[in-house]
Amino acid sequence: MSKMNDKLLIDVGSTYFKVSTPTSIEQHLRDFNKDIFDDLTYRCANTINSFEKDDIYICSSANGGLSTLIIGLTNSFSLKYAKNIAFNSGINIIETVMYQNIEEYSIPSDVIDVVIIVGGINSNDNIFGADLYSYLDKLNYSNVVFVGSESHSSALKDNIENLVILPNIIDNKLHIVEENLKVYLTNLYQEDIEGKEDIKHLYDITSNQIYSTPYIVNKTLPMIHTKFAVVNPFILIDIGGATTDIHYSKDLVDDNIVTENEYDRLVFKKLGVYKSKESLIFAAQNNEFVYELLTHLKVTENIFEEQSEKATKTLMQLAIFLVLTKMSHYKQAYINLKLLSINSIVLTGGITKVLTSSEIEDIISFFYKKILNSEHNPVTVLDSNYDIWTLGAEAE
Amino acid sequence: MKVVTGVVGNDIHVVANRLIELSLNARGFEVFNLGVNTYLEEFFDAVVETGADILLISSLNGEAEGWSREIKLLKSKYKNLDNLVMMIGGNLVVGSADADTIVPKYKNYGFDLVFHQVDLNTGLDTLEEFLKERDK
Repeated sequence: MSKMNDKLLIDVGSTYFKVSTPTSIEQHLRDFNKDIFDDLTYRCANTINSFEKDDIYICSSANGGLSTLIIGLTNSFSLKYAKNIAFNSGINIIETVMYQNIEEYSIPSDVIDVVIIVGGINSNDNIFGADLYSYLDKLNYSNVVFVGSESHSSALKDNIENLVILPNIIDNKLHIVEENLKVYLTNLYQEDIEGKEDIKHLYDITSNQIYSTPYIVNKTLPMIHTKFAVVNPFILIDIGGATTDIHYSKDLVDDNIVTENEYDRLVFKKLGVYKSKESLIFAAQNNEFVYELLTHLKVTENIFEEQSEKATKTLMQLAIFLVLTKMSHYKQAYINLKLLSINSIVLTGGITKVLTSSEIEDIISFFYKKILNSEHNPVTVLDSNYDIWTLGAEAE
Repeated sequence: MKVVTGVVGNDIHVVANRLIELSLNARGFEVFNLGVNTYLEEFFDAVVETGADILLISSLNGEAEGWSREIKLLKSKYKNLDNLVMMIGGNLVVGSADADTIVPKYKNYGFDLVFHQVDLNTGLDTLEEFLKERDK
């Protein structure tokens, strides 16, 4: 029987699951021939049985999150705001469509979990027309939400089936209003987790809500100083089996959006060392500095074909390099961080079990020299005992 | 009527920007002030989001000239901006030049109304007259 303050925390990832009790943390590579529930209860039956359902807290990133397509009016306001909210809600953006050129966009073949339509302040009407409806007719999606001009919402409601209408995310001063869309997307994510055959059985062992892991990690960041010697501003990199997440302090972005959150999150959906290994290698082969990096690591391109500890280490080192490159001004992306201002880089996830501090620092130093031409050397902090996840899960 | 305004480029003259907003408000315009250090794309994007009728760009340190060369090209990428009234005012060159040289140059960049070293109220009076004439 557990005591009042004792909790069992479980994190289900795409590659590993972690189980944390007040006295220990265990990590298991998932058995992909079993569903998550069977795998978990087979390996950790005794631990799980020693806790009440009320004391078991689960978070999951195993589904990789929901996918969204955003249709907006402009890059500087509607698309920028909707992208920011989607990323911070744990949603993966597969496409953004600038409405005025909607006819030029091809239709994605994947099923989109949620389509977000946004544009205009409330007094701006007559924004969207028949070309939007015809684009949506061709699109395969599960949910559609409108978060634009209120004076235009009834016209859209009449023309788009099952349209959910929420308050505008752009206020009358052209500032962002994130709460309503964020809550909607977070709930949709929860429903998706609960609806997944694999995950919904997990409610047999917990009576608490199952949250997405990035949501939990983002909650931890304001408290990170209680566990680690981290100097602001910092970034946190979570390299997993399927995706890589970056959580960053907003001080590191020039193009700042004023919101209540201190930290934003960005996910690289196809950058992981297990499930997304092939796309990671593809991204590496298309980076002109990678061969120099491989030489620096004293390996050749043949390492990509190997199945060894050395190969996994190399992939993880490549992932660090690629993700920093994607966030730097060297590659123009959704967000470019002021990487020369960073004082600490925190690493969490499976990477902390594979690479040593010095191996990580070697790559970071290579990145700063080659890409940013600088001797800057932020302090590397390894969350090797999953304290960041534990802290957020306990707070929740 | 809705007006989008702001200071273009790397220019932080916030007092003038604030005075423009106050004067426009006093004349009954609905103002969307993007503030200082604003890029051209943000001006046009704000016009699209708000459905503004007028774009009033100000420039105090002469930066406008470099940026304004891009206006025609950028505006051509937007649909439905044909009826937008484009206005610019302030100190529109680095160094000195008279209005007879400056005004035609900026009109050629795509502005309907150009005010080089003209006081704010004169500029806004001219804007109101221009709108009256246009709507006749």
